[in-house]
Amino acid sequence: MRILVVEDDAETSAYLAAGLEEEGHLVSCSRTGRDGLFLAMTENFDLLVVDRMLPELDGLTLVKTLRAGRIDTPVLFLTTMSGIDDRVTGLNAGGDDYLVKPFAFSELVARVKALSRRPRGTAVETRFKVADLELDLLKRVVKRGGSEIALQPREFRLLEYLMRHAGQVVTRTMLLDNVWNYHFDPRTNVVESHLSRLRTKIDKGFTPELIHTVRGAGYCLRAPD
Amino acid sequence: MRRIKLFRTSSFRLALLYAGLFTASVLVLFGVTYWFATNYAAQDESNEIAVEFASIQDEARSSGQDRLAAIIDSHLRLRKDVRAVYLLQDAAGRKIVGNIDAMTPIMGATTLDRFLDGETRQIRAQGYRLDNGDYLLVGQDTSTLKEMKALIVRAFGFGLMVTLVLAVIGSAIISTTVLKRLDAVSRTARAIVQGDFSHRVPTRGTDDEFDELAASMNAMLDRIEDLMRSMRQVSNDIAHDLRTPLSRLRQRLERARSRAHTVEELQEALGHSIAQVDSILETFGALLRIAQIEAGGKAAGTAMVDVSKLLAGIVEDFAPAAEDHGQRLVADVEPGLSIPADPELLTQMIVNLIDNAIRHSPQGARISAQAKSVAGTLELAVSDTGPGIPPQEWENVLRPFYRLEASRTTEGSGLGLSLVAAIAKRHRAKLILGDNAPGLRVSVLFPLAA
Repeated sequence: MRILVVEDDAETSAYLAAGLEEEGHLVSCSRTGRDGLFLAMTENFDLLVVDRMLPELDGLTLVKTLRAGRIDTPVLFLTTMSGIDDRVTGLNAGGDDYLVKPFAFSELVARVKALSRRPRGTAVETRFKVADLELDLLKRVVKRGGSEIALQPREFRLLEYLMRHAGQVVTRTMLLDNVWNYHFDPRTNVVESHLSRLRTKIDKGFTPELIHTVRGAGYCLRAPD
Repeated sequence: MRRIKLFRTSSFRLALLYAGLFTASVLVLFGVTYWFATNYAAQDESNEIAVEFASIQDEARSSGQDRLAAIIDSHLRLRKDVRAVYLLQDAAGRKIVGNIDAMTPIMGATTLDRFLDGETRQIRAQGYRLDNGDYLLVGQDTSTLKEMKALIVRAFGFGLMVTLVLAVIGSAIISTTVLKRLDAVSRTARAIVQGDFSHRVPTRGTDDEFDELAASMNAMLDRIEDLMRSMRQVSNDIAHDLRTPLSRLRQRLERARSRAHTVEELQEALGHSIAQVDSILETFGALLRIAQIEAGGKAAGTAMVDVSKLLAGIVEDFAPAAEDHGQRLVADVEPGLSIPADPELLTQMIVNLIDNAIRHSPQGARISAQAKSVAGTLELAVSDTGPGIPPQEWENVLRPFYRLEASRTTEGSGLGLSLVAAIAKRHRAKLILGDNAPGLRVSVLFPLAA
């Protein structure tokens, strides 16, 4: 993937570039908002990682300008501000995801992967299938090996998110953000307890196991290779 | 210094303006009075002369023309006091009777200067030619009119002086009173600028606008002092509460540098260190968030939030986790309760309360989340059957970083309830800690939209 990192702090920028290159991406960096906008408009990137606070042109304006120019490259905002409204303004400006500094690198990698898979077209998937696990959004039915499994609404949304990102690592924060709509971290292990119940329902008594815990990173739903 | 300041005050200028206006109105009044009075007096005088002439003629007609001189003579004596002037002379211009010298006859109204009673006086008179060719002049000394004019001028002059003196004295009194009270305000401001925050503007208890100003200024100062104190408290707390984990982190890193020999040992030490840094960052984040919520000017609440639905949803999300802790989390929610609120903050508030209840209650505890309307307010409450908090600590636990001895060892920043308090304040809601007998009951009272 070609990724453009727009970040004014040299150390952070180098850290991001090195880490993302290690993951096999091709990374370009720019230090100012104006350079970043120029690069993003003239070259073809698969993803932009944009800091909110930039010299010359701030991140929000950069993304608004891009979107006004009908360039819909996915954008991941980085910010040190964890303000109440910052997330909403970022997403309204045309950002696709939002990450508050400081963050664990594994979190960034997971989110970058999730964004790269984001369907750009309009075709909306309503049926998902991983190995013998099936989920139908319209009928709201989940089947494993042909037999129906009853899920609580929250468990259904959790499984839907995991299946949309099948094969990718999804972090606890991504799940809190997208499944629960909690944009903060509750101390109680909400995610874990729901996940263990979901696991019991769809994995217990079936082989192979589909939901995997990725140590230090998150979870992954995938079929065995 | 003081006198110059007095003249520069706006109240003094106002008083001066009033004095000017008074003077002007006195002058106008004077002009009008003077004009009417003198006009009237002059008119009256000429009428009087005509009447006098008529009465002399009447008397002469009834008692005979030859008696005219005697009649005038008696009139002269009778009207000495009003300074009447008479002159009767024959056709040849010889004086027959009168109190002024013979003169060239002048017909009709006239004004003349004549020597009379030892001095020259102005006389207003009327001259008549009688049937027998004699000339009769009837007149009156105008000094009465002059005196009256002088009297009016004097009276008004005196009145004007009194007005001016009163205006100056009054304005000086008003200015000094206003000045004194304003001085008290600026003295207080100066004292505060110099760092003494205990100063307040004195009130007199008169309930006037100055007292009102003083009261609102004092309220403002109270609020500022409050904020300053809590800021100082928080920065002290930050210094203390972040120093501890930071120095622990330092120790751990130092030990790893000197003791760890294998890559695994180093990695383990690094892992612990990162976890520690994360928890420090989390504390920072929570502080920042509290500060942001508290700094948010307007009260939150642009949208109506269905609290019943929100609370039930959160309870559903947390019930499995509580079950994993061996606890039971139940919702007791009146349906259809809505308040204007910030949905994200409200969610965080409820989650924090439930978080607290789950973490501080032992296995087997029952945690209940309630929402109901009570007398115009919406009561949102989370109660548990855990160990509770002694009543004397209820106030304290709302303070940032404050932790009960018993919970020092459990994980947590000690900011959870402070955040709840900040969110409640933002929503103009009241946060109340109470006894659930046994356990703790935290309730938040939101004003229901009218």
